[in-house]
Amino acid sequence: MDKFGSIVRINLTTGSIKKESLCEKTMKEFIGGRGYATKVLYDELPKGTDPLSPENKLIFANGPLTGKGAPASGRYMVVTKSPLNNYIASSNSGGFWGAELARAGWFMIILEGKAQKPSYIWINDDKVEIRDASAFWGLDSHETTDKLLAAVGDDKAKVACIGPAGERLSKLASVMNDKNRAAGRSGVGAVMGSKNLKAIVVKGSSRPHVENQDEMKSVLATAMEKLKTNPVTSQGLPTYGTAVLVNIINQIGGYPYKNWQGAHMPEADSQSGETLARDFLTKRYSCYACPIGCGRVTKVGDREGEGPEYESIFSFGVCCGVEPLEPIIEANYLCNEYGLDTISAGVTIAAAMELYEKGYIKKEELEGGPELKFGNAEAVTYWTKKMGLVEGFGKKLAMGSYALCEMYGHPEFSMTAKKLEMPAYDGRAVQGIGLNYATSNRGGCHVRGYTTSPEVLGLPQKLDPAEYQSKPTWVKIFQDLTAAIDSSGMCLFTSFALGADDYAAFLKAATGFEYDGAEALKAGERIWNIERLFNLREGMDTAEDTLPARLLNEPIPEGPAKGMVSHLPEMLPEYYKLRGWDSKGIPTTGKLEELGLQ
Amino acid sequence: MIKVLFFATIRDYTNEKETTAEGASSVEGLLRLLCARYGPEFEAEVFDGGKISDRVIVLVNGKHIAHTGGPLTPVKDGDTIAVFPIIGGG
Ligand code: SF4
Repeated sequence: MDKFGSIVRINLTTGSIKKESLCEKTMKEFIGGRGYATKVLYDELPKGTDPLSPENKLIFANGPLTGKGAPASGRYMVVTKSPLNNYIASSNSGGFWGAELARAGWFMIILEGKAQKPSYIWINDDKVEIRDASAFWGLDSHETTDKLLAAVGDDKAKVACIGPAGERLSKLASVMNDKNRAAGRSGVGAVMGSKNLKAIVVKGSSRPHVENQDEMKSVLATAMEKLKTNPVTSQGLPTYGTAVLVNIINQIGGYPYKNWQGAHMPEADSQSGETLARDFLTKRYSCYACPIGCGRVTKVGDREGEGPEYESIFSFGVCCGVEPLEPIIEANYLCNEYGLDTISAGVTIAAAMELYEKGYIKKEELEGGPELKFGNAEAVTYWTKKMGLVEGFGKKLAMGSYALCEMYGHPEFSMTAKKLEMPAYDGRAVQGIGLNYATSNRGGCHVRGYTTSPEVLGLPQKLDPAEYQSKPTWVKIFQDLTAAIDSSGMCLFTSFALGADDYAAFLKAATGFEYDGAEALKAGERIWNIERLFNLREGMDTAEDTLPARLLNEPIPEGPAKGMVSHLPEMLPEYYKLRGWDSKGIPTTGKLEELGLQ
Repeated sequence: MIKVLFFATIRDYTNEKETTAEGASSVEGLLRLLCARYGPEFEAEVFDGGKISDRVIVLVNGKHIAHTGGPLTPVKDGDTIAVFPIIGGG
């Protein structure tokens, strides 16, 4: 095995399994994970490939830090061409699966082709097999995990799998690992389903290589001190999870209500992190080597599970006009079991509610199911289930908000950017995050450049969320830094306490490559640009760097941010300029040369 | 009447989610008044020396006081003040 792990290329059509060495130059330039996998996809995937065809490639990639003891370093990425929007899909997940892959000696899995029958992959150190998964097809992610662990005879193995949503090619399907951790966004689970691949089961027994152990120890000590003394990573996230955001985002008037028809919910405290901790939390969950432990293990009635995160409370709660936590938690559990992305699922139901209330979806189409009215909690759980099973009217919902609204002739009700459902911060109340959604390479996503941190939480600096002149600079830096962190194998949440220099120090200790903070940011910029090039090659029009008309033209009707609209048109030209792109948003030759992408 | 809302760990010091106050004309004055009501632990969280502490986020009608004039931000009847500890998420 290579010292940083090897690449295994598996062709599911032919059954061929090939070991390849990773390229250290690519690793230095693209770090790993998100960056390295995107470089492979960019180099290998022919333009115009149907995302759900055997020709698409599905890549599972670790970072050079995954499984090596750095804090919160259990992250891996799933990179492919998205069936939701035909652009880059790159979803990040934690838990323990990625670290186990590193222990088995692998850095990356490249999947090609399509198996003739339902299959799973069993990786036991350097032995890799394709096995029959017929007995597991149709099972949810929890049953699949339990049964596969029994099938491989090792309950310490780790499972990444799809549920019924991925099997049935829902464009909102996620890949689930360790039962409740999700590589959620962009329909990566549908690509896995299209390959007839139910799961990848991994068991490893080696200690992943760290180039300079002493250096790693000292970098680790410095970082742990910062994480332990930072109020967010030592108190806020461990105590309340991400749901602690409900109240503050609501208080600033940026909590998208009823499909962005409003931005404030008077009863929000009843669905807050504080209420979750008081009434439903049974314990915390920590991913591999994570000192933060933001995961929530919860109980509602006789059901126990994980979550919800802030985003899921928003999508099934405020966005659907639903107040109590119980149905939100239930919908979240269903998504984990069926393998559905919670943000996309909830925001799609919200769009369906607007279409229904405005008379475009007819009652008869619901085949006796609960009415899609804002505030109808029963509708949220019922239709999440139908969406997960891709059944009845759930088939239409499973296409995602954009395709649904377009089918009914009203794409303007789809709260998406590049057809990906937007998360829980209103881009009218928080200007920078709106610019981030509009320019994110995978579409409406907050964790590509989480400027909510300075704009609302005051970290690392207090920015006014309403001000927009300074935001292009912040968005670019956050996007580049995030691309580097995602590629490293560490969790983005560590960035509340750590900065570019800390990540560079970890990367240097683990790989021996000369990184400093500026170089880590440069690698992030390179990754951002190659993702952009991928999208442009797939035919993306840069006019798609936009937000729904509602955010540009309809002022927030009530609450603390009343009257605000997004100033995207003013921010975008400056953003393109800072990126070294031309006025239409195309990377210039000079910029590509500078990044070694020409 | 000024409405004051408390969130997350701040509730551990106040033992209530919200209250009302009157007689203060600035955010700092209001917080001083609340220190008298909730005691030294609340004060230690909200003030650092003579200044409003960096460990709290204070909003006046949804706007962070850093952007509305700092501790001297005026408050008046009908305003809503929200007090949070430093928090994060995603
Ligand atoms: S901070 Fe939360 S999501 Fe990130 S690694 Fe830790 S437990 Fe997992």
